[in-house]
Amino acid sequence: MADIFPPLTAAQVDAKIKVDEKVDYSNLPCPVPYEELHREALMSLRSDNFEGLRFDFTRALNQKFSLSHSVMMGPTEIPSQSSETIKIPTAHYEFGANYYDPKLLLIGRVMTDGRLSARVKADLTEKLVVKANAQITNEQHQSQAMFNFDYMGSDYRAQLQLGQSALIGATYIQSVTNHLSLGGEVFWAGVPRKSGIGYAARYETDKMVASAQVASTGAVVMNYVQKISDKVSLATDFMYNYFSRDVTASVGYDYILRQARVRGKIDSNGVASALLEERLSMGLNFLLSAELDHKKKDYKFGFGLTVG
Amino acid sequence: MAAKASLKIKGKGKGSSKGSSSSSSSSSVSSKYKVFKAWTNWSLEKAKVATHYGFIPLIIIIGMNSDPKPDLFQLLSPV
Repeated sequence: MADIFPPLTAAQVDAKIKVDEKVDYSNLPCPVPYEELHREALMSLRSDNFEGLRFDFTRALNQKFSLSHSVMMGPTEIPSQSSETIKIPTAHYEFGANYYDPKLLLIGRVMTDGRLSARVKADLTEKLVVKANAQITNEQHQSQAMFNFDYMGSDYRAQLQLGQSALIGATYIQSVTNHLSLGGEVFWAGVPRKSGIGYAARYETDKMVASAQVASTGAVVMNYVQKISDKVSLATDFMYNYFSRDVTASVGYDYILRQARVRGKIDSNGVASALLEERLSMGLNFLLSAELDHKKKDYKFGFGLTVG
Repeated sequence: MAAKASLKIKGKGKGSSKGSSSSSSSSSVSSKYKVFKAWTNWSLEKAKVATHYGFIPLIIIIGMNSDPKPDLFQLLSPV
């Protein structure tokens, strides 16, 4: 159901010093935000496959303001106890309004059943950004909200997160050299009373990005992305949970061609998926999505059209 | 938010235990705290309803007042 939003990060000037010069430790580039640590790997490996028909129409009224209408028809999964997946065919229409300003970003989407999803990003000062994300429903106690306060220093970023059901989290990431950045996070959740701590590292060069993340919830994630050329990049991912002993490894590719973009991946759970976005003409995009889960015998195919 | 409410719970709990241990002052503090908690719950409920109904109209109002100002016809027509 994700529409194609523009990236939320502020633009950064990345001063890449050449390898033969001496490293200037007082002038390191600003690292990527902590939640985008695995950004390049997620672009190839977590593409938004969908099932059924999807039609998005975006109408720009001026440079900053646009309205969007979106129709989705297809089976949606409901979580079930047995190993079989239960799908119910649904159709919904979603109306949205977007306002993009360099200092203020407002995105709102409302569905026919009354669910509102709202996203606000405001630049309070040059360095401090407030983000809010909320999903509000008509049912009692099903709404969620999250507020983030991000501070961007010269070579570090710090973030404080406040969530709706007594959730507090903080993350910090620091550039250690020109290529390496290290970070950590802590969180405390009130409802299931638990707290956690995690560490992350990211090493990037022009040709490759490697990142790793460990958390006290038991999750270990490591991934590696190699940029073969401007058009092709390959990614591989390894996820391990040391409490539940779940392991998943996946390999994926991302081809950015002139008129099309193809992304695909294959998984150790027996899932192969691909997503094609083709630009038929200016402002008209055609989407084809396929996901084959051989283990659960669940095959999903979708097609869609995006206008504007 | 409930996060702020739970932090305030800790603050008031410490305050009432470190202060004078007379039962009347602690019960008045706890009743004031109950009133405060009920008031924050009420205001959060109202804020949730206001956001639910008013967020999209707020975006539309801000958008229709930005430069260059679009027409009302452009807002309502499908083309």
